[in-house]
Amino acid sequence: MKQEVFQARHDAEWSALDQWLVKRTRPSAKQRGRDADGLFGDLEFPAMYRRVCQHLALAQRRGYSVLLIDRLQDLVHRGHLVLYRPPAPRWQAVIEFFGADFPRLVRHHGRAMGIAAVLFFGSFIGVIVAMQYRPEFAHSLFDAGELARFEAMYDPANADAKLGRESGSDVKMFGYYILNNVSIGFRTIAAGFFACIGSVYVLLFNGLFLGGVAGHLTAIGYGGPFWRFVAGHSAPELLAIVISGGAGLQLGMALIAPGRRSRGRAFVEAGIDMAKLALGIFGMLVFAAFVEAFWSSIGWMPDPVKFGVGGLLWVLILLWLWRGGRGVAHAA
Amino acid sequence: METPEGIALRLRPAGMMPRAAAWAIDFALRLAVLWVFAIALALLGDLGVAVYLIVLFGLFWLYPIAFEVLHDGQTPGKRAVGLRVVNANGTPVGWVPSIARNLMRTVDMLPLLYCFGLVAGLIDRNSRRFGDMVAGTLVVHVDSPHGHSTAPDVPAVQAPLLLPAAEQGAIVAFAERARQLTPERQQELANLLPQLTQARGAVAVQRLLGMASSFLGRQ
Repeated sequence: MKQEVFQARHDAEWSALDQWLVKRTRPSAKQRGRDADGLFGDLEFPAMYRRVCQHLALAQRRGYSVLLIDRLQDLVHRGHLVLYRPPAPRWQAVIEFFGADFPRLVRHHGRAMGIAAVLFFGSFIGVIVAMQYRPEFAHSLFDAGELARFEAMYDPANADAKLGRESGSDVKMFGYYILNNVSIGFRTIAAGFFACIGSVYVLLFNGLFLGGVAGHLTAIGYGGPFWRFVAGHSAPELLAIVISGGAGLQLGMALIAPGRRSRGRAFVEAGIDMAKLALGIFGMLVFAAFVEAFWSSIGWMPDPVKFGVGGLLWVLILLWLWRGGRGVAHAA
Repeated sequence: METPEGIALRLRPAGMMPRAAAWAIDFALRLAVLWVFAIALALLGDLGVAVYLIVLFGLFWLYPIAFEVLHDGQTPGKRAVGLRVVNANGTPVGWVPSIARNLMRTVDMLPLLYCFGLVAGLIDRNSRRFGDMVAGTLVVHVDSPHGHSTAPDVPAVQAPLLLPAAEQGAIVAFAERARQLTPERQQELANLLPQLTQARGAVAVQRLLGMASSFLGRQ
């Protein structure tokens, strides 16, 4: 077939597809419900797109002019971007994710999470216990200025003050916790990329740091206000740190031991899980920041309520991670 | 890259220079937004500080993800430079790959100014930084609109043979670059194709330019 005949026969289809792509690539919410006037319907788009793909293949095979091939290639490229675009986010997917997919994913990487938990809680509890017997150990972890600052924050003498902070209102600290804690969580994950080293470092560092503060304050008798402050948000925050570390470890394992996959393939698979875990960690840390800013700082609450709520959160979150998504059919 | 429809799709991975330019534009834009917010929120006291910190968080972590997924893989900077983030198979990037590649910025940034990302991009064949490798994404050039050829506008000449697309493309490329070549070099190149032009010297050059016009659909 001559190029002129081919062009004359199909030109109308190409212009129609071109117009459809211009109008319907990003329809507004109002227009999405119905088809555009004067164009073919949205459901006919895939068939139309495949027909133009075939025209392009024919044009290339028959050696038609560069211009025609370029035009068809442009149409195909734009059509490809529309046909294979990701589905619009649905709210139900968010609920499904936090209810089932995230706990399931955490359990799927149980070994990495276990190692992360041992590294973090091991160093955390180890330092606390060590400091009860050797209080001078605090001076090898922190310098004198830092120690004075921690002591001022949790001094039982000014019990009427807000717990756990030098200054600043609840809402301001909420913003600060979001920025600071979520960034730390995300960095912990990404740091695992280099053969897990970064994640191991962050887990040990945080374990020693937090354990050091807790151990020192307990040893000098300031434990009361400190534990009252941290009891509420400890569960979501510490578990989120552990899960971040675990997510980083599984990413690092893709570099160390990709198994029967190529390293590139292993990275992509670990990257998908990493991104999903990061989404869950984001949720946990926002919740932790909320508790830390608006609940943990309340000074007048009696001890049983403070520790009761903290313990309840530990039980609930562990139960969620352990049981969430069991017995539900796996979402496609 | 071949699509499920059996069509070869051209993806041209972008090098590190245009990507750095896009990043610089994004960075300036984010700084400007932050600055405006800082002024507006300074009047609101503690609530303002909280909003400011959350905006800072959003601009740092969520800005690239939101734009890449909701805006055809283009942040404003990438749009200005003509880049787009796509999956390795050419499909638009989704939430999960976008989160993965932007989380990995933490690694690519190290030790300073995206050094690791730069080195990875220079070594990798598709100039992917570590984030792109983990997310399975590419940063590609957006093809410029077609139909604008810089070939000289001369009357079209029908080619005596039917040429495949690649050879047509070569002749069009010759026509587009003709202005940068000396007349002697033009003739030297045109003389390589005696069967096609059936002439030598300046006439052959004119015939080749005419054929390029006809391949480009000009009259």
